[in-house]
Amino acid sequence: MTIALAPPLPVRTRLVVPLVVIAATMVLWEIAVRATRTQGLVPLPSGIGASGLVLTTSGVIFEAMAGSLKRVAIGFAIGAAIGIPMGLAVGTLRPLERSLRPVLDSLRSIAPIAWIPMAILWLGVRGNAALFVVSYAATFPFIVSASQAVRMVDRRLVDAARALGASPWTVLRAVLMPSTLPMLFTGARIALAFAWGSIIAAELAIGIKIAGQGRNVAGIGQLMVETLYVKRDVDALVFYMLAIGVVSLAIDAGLRHLQRRLLPWDRR
Amino acid sequence: MTRLMRFVEPMIGIVVVVLLWGLVARVAANATLVPSPTVVWQAFVTMLDGDLPRDILASLAHLGVGYGLGVATGLALALAAGSSRWVEAVLDPLAEFLRPISPIAWIPIAILMFGVGRLVPIYLIFYASLFPIFVSTLDGIRHVDRNLVNAALSLGASRRTVLLHVIVPAVLPSIVAGARLSLGVAWMSLVAGEIVGGDSGIGWRILWYQEFFQMDRVMAAILIVGAMGLAADALLRLAQRALRRVNPSLASGA
Repeated sequence: MTIALAPPLPVRTRLVVPLVVIAATMVLWEIAVRATRTQGLVPLPSGIGASGLVLTTSGVIFEAMAGSLKRVAIGFAIGAAIGIPMGLAVGTLRPLERSLRPVLDSLRSIAPIAWIPMAILWLGVRGNAALFVVSYAATFPFIVSASQAVRMVDRRLVDAARALGASPWTVLRAVLMPSTLPMLFTGARIALAFAWGSIIAAELAIGIKIAGQGRNVAGIGQLMVETLYVKRDVDALVFYMLAIGVVSLAIDAGLRHLQRRLLPWDRR
Repeated sequence: MTRLMRFVEPMIGIVVVVLLWGLVARVAANATLVPSPTVVWQAFVTMLDGDLPRDILASLAHLGVGYGLGVATGLALALAAGSSRWVEAVLDPLAEFLRPISPIAWIPIAILMFGVGRLVPIYLIFYASLFPIFVSTLDGIRHVDRNLVNAALSLGASRRTVLLHVIVPAVLPSIVAGARLSLGVAWMSLVAGEIVGGDSGIGWRILWYQEFFQMDRVMAAILIVGAMGLAADALLRLAQRALRRVNPSLASGA
């Protein structure tokens, strides 16, 4: 446990070491898979690259991503529309909070994906069931962050502004919004990450339900199910998985950037 | 605000929701589309006599094995990264690379590698619980107060003493916070893994009941998923509070 004592490694070492290790692992992996002749069962680094090239040049992956992202965007908006007002209400009115808390906590503990059978029953398999799951996942981070944001508002600032004759509008614009927006934005980031994870789970579950009865390749999850059960292409599956990771990273980086641009007073 | 109110208030929300649910069920008048609370309760009671205990045990077994392995591995890796800058230089970027890949994205690959079965949820839970505890513990180690370590060392403490009496207590809250985060993600992955690629457990049972169109049982199983998640989190919250009681100075880190 020397880290508290040891000096950090030079920057160049910190950049080079992982690259070398990753490259060496890939080469050894490739050799091992070829030597044991387990291609097709175990992903092959070169195969992942090859299927990545095919899937990106043919545009298949972009189409599927666009389908999934569209549902994420709609679900995120629904989650915000339900979650933010609810969170604000719960955060402002203590008795409401005390009586709704157990219900909200229980609902939040239900993994969104568990609703899939009910969602399919209520909304059908063609996309809206997935939308339900995504909205459900996105709602709770908004409730939590909005209620915390309200509670963190400094009452003295509000009182001071009022005492100095600020109109309600000014109080909202100059005191309430600057102090609640950063928290809300963080909630939005969590909500979006949840939504992105849930859309894939929902599409996988739905895809498995309708595999074989006339495919409906509408999102990345359905595409993965098709690749798994129809094409059995493990390299493509790994490529999809990496692409999902890249999209998560891009979403979060974009939101962080937006957070700094829109809320420059918040140094978190 | 009497003691009575404090007991009654949390009930209000539940009662209102159940009444609303009953009302919707009555309006819908379709026990498949919207099973009423009473029907779901009856389904729950019959399930309790049948498969439910076995399903819950299966899920708990998945969770225990996957979460145990994941937390142990994450902790070991974080300690290794904390002991050596070289290990850290390799593990940290690797973790940053893998972390954004949601466990869900692994499901098809896990199905292909392990086949539909208990290994799929176990693997997902393992993967999901690995990162929060790794990141949180390593972060805790990085933020150990150097002055404390130096003070202990200059007062003649051995490395062992420093480790056990300075570093571990300082990192413990981060470990517990990480364990709680891990459990949250692990629970979501458990349900997703069982639904999509499992052959046992409460998540798998939800789809099983759906095959037979027993929506009352589906609904009961969904609520049980929520109750189990709630119980798991409450348990870890208790652990966190117990830790704080043992050493109040630990409260800040978590």
